[in-house]
Amino acid sequence: MGTSYIYKRDASRLFIALRENGKRYKIYIPKESQPVIDGEEKDIDFVEQEDFHYTFDWNGKRFHCELVSRDQNKAVVKVNGVEYKFSLESLFSYIRHGMIDKDGKQIDENNIVSPMPGKIVDIFLSEGDLVNEGEPILSLEAMKMQNEISASCNGVIRKIRVQQGQSVMKDELLVEIQSIDV
Amino acid sequence: MKKRLLIANRSEIAIRIIRSAHKLGMLAVVFQSDKEPDALYLKYADEIIPARDGGNEKNIFLDPERIVNLALEHNVDLIHPGYGFLSENPDFAQLCVDNGINFIGPSPELIRDMGLKTVAKSMAIQAGLPLVPGSDGAIKDADAAKAYADKIGYPVILKASAGGGGRGMRIVEKAETIERNFKSASDEALAAFGNGDMFIEKYLQNPKHLEFQIMGDKHGNVVHLGERECSLQRKHQKILEEAPSASVTPEMRKEMGDMAVRFAKAIGYYSAGTIEFIMDEDGSYFFMEMNTRIQVEHPVTEMITGVDLVDWQIRVALGEELTIKQEDIKINGWAIECRVNTEDPQNRFAPQTGFIDKIHFPKKDYIRIETGVQSGSVVTPYFDSMISKIIVHGKDRADVITKTLAALYEFSLVGLKTTVPFCRTVLQHPDFVDASYTTRWVDSVFTPEMLENEEDEMIGALAATIMYASEYLQLSSDLPAYKQDNLNVWILNKRLTY
Repeated sequence: MGTSYIYKRDASRLFIALRENGKRYKIYIPKESQPVIDGEEKDIDFVEQEDFHYTFDWNGKRFHCELVSRDQNKAVVKVNGVEYKFSLESLFSYIRHGMIDKDGKQIDENNIVSPMPGKIVDIFLSEGDLVNEGEPILSLEAMKMQNEISASCNGVIRKIRVQQGQSVMKDELLVEIQSIDV
Repeated sequence: MKKRLLIANRSEIAIRIIRSAHKLGMLAVVFQSDKEPDALYLKYADEIIPARDGGNEKNIFLDPERIVNLALEHNVDLIHPGYGFLSENPDFAQLCVDNGINFIGPSPELIRDMGLKTVAKSMAIQAGLPLVPGSDGAIKDADAAKAYADKIGYPVILKASAGGGGRGMRIVEKAETIERNFKSASDEALAAFGNGDMFIEKYLQNPKHLEFQIMGDKHGNVVHLGERECSLQRKHQKILEEAPSASVTPEMRKEMGDMAVRFAKAIGYYSAGTIEFIMDEDGSYFFMEMNTRIQVEHPVTEMITGVDLVDWQIRVALGEELTIKQEDIKINGWAIECRVNTEDPQNRFAPQTGFIDKIHFPKKDYIRIETGVQSGSVVTPYFDSMISKIIVHGKDRADVITKTLAALYEFSLVGLKTTVPFCRTVLQHPDFVDASYTTRWVDSVFTPEMLENEEDEMIGALAATIMYASEYLQLSSDLPAYKQDNLNVWILNKRLTY
């Protein structure tokens, strides 16, 4: 469990906020640390919170946010007196709408295949988990050595094709990963 | 016995005048309008007169007879009209005088004269003030118009003598089109006003609005307190003012200031007054008009001169002699005033009415706040949209811009949109920073997109996500106990540390 990774397992905490002008923010709201926006942990502090009114502090500046209107997944927020309109999607609805990785080739690139023949010793993550680039997913034993196999991108584990204790061939598909880096 | 001063006005200016009345040992009397019976200014007054102007009644502040009758009933000694409403209504001033009430302002005759543009201009000419080059009276026909335009240079503006509201008005860029424009404007004026007379003036394409503050007493003393620049306007109304102006050199200040004093003395002016000039891109300036009231933007002058203009208005009305001498008036630093109007700058400054759930002002010794509202106040459609003014003083222009921007970032209002984001945009724009902005800036440069910035947008995305996520995470869990285990943990942690 690498605690230094910004995305924790819970993929239901990742959202995409989309503006009319095409601007898109990927926002991960962890349980206990700072929010992650577009893959970067931001040192944003809550100063005040009421029902539809938040005040944040970031880089020494105040940001007064007020929910102006809300219609299903569309929200208008006033920030320091100026309105911005967003439509909001969970990661799953976002993927379902085919907005990430329309290009099938790119998906393949992020899938993990066995670099050598060996045996799966341990699997650290489950399907549906969020994973960080470079974070170990499973451990593969080959020639008496244990190798950690890591994710090549930030993403969500779509499918795990192997089980603990299973022997695998070189180039065998181990894990399918849906990238969230676009 | 304490003198009783009635303020025939409301909102922030009423509170401002009450402050001066108290300083001078007077009792402040105000009207309570049925159109805003819980207004903030009522709290500051010593005595409240119920105006009973509800329903279809004309609001009290526009009703000269009722004001004077109620003033007499309540043994009022002086009336301060503030700005707007009846402040430049000569009949109201006359009515006060006729009933033995001291009207705080110049004489009714001067209010009348300055209100008539042609009279004011001819008095200005007599005092040697420059006017925008133009025909003295109506111009005979299209040929005469062309001959005149050739003489003063293009562009020119054709105006109907009887006109107003833009009808019978044409801006002509070149000689080829003047004949056609003259005819159509004249026809339009004839149809609209029954009078096709036209006059012609030089048209300033990118003018600046400058104004000199003067103060005179009833003994013939007049001083000027430097200029204010009020070029930043939307719908011909000022929205951000500064003093001094970066476009006025010390030599020009002396020249224009002396001119303003000379004019005021020539017409026998007393009380506070403002002489407005329009300045062309080449630095030439022309007299526009004189305002015979205290102005909304008077605090910027007070900030840089240390002179209390409202105090002096009252003292002059009582017959006191000015103790400030021209040579004692020094300009100290720079000041900016931002008007907080409940208007939507993202939507052509459309007025906003409703509740102010919460309002927070910046507090610093160099910031002055004038406000007619507080948290919980209501903004009604019956009165002006200006609710407050944020005035900031700095050691120089760069310093005051930085301080004002920080002040505006600290300001917050929950419930309605305001002009504050617009002022923030202005303060950061190169045209304001280099002081080249003109009265055309809002129409020709400003777009609502300029109000946005990436930091605000990102934080907005975060706020929207949190609001959405807190529901989504609750809905997506089928365990009722999970309700507690949502992202509020992060929020709660943060709240506890602050």
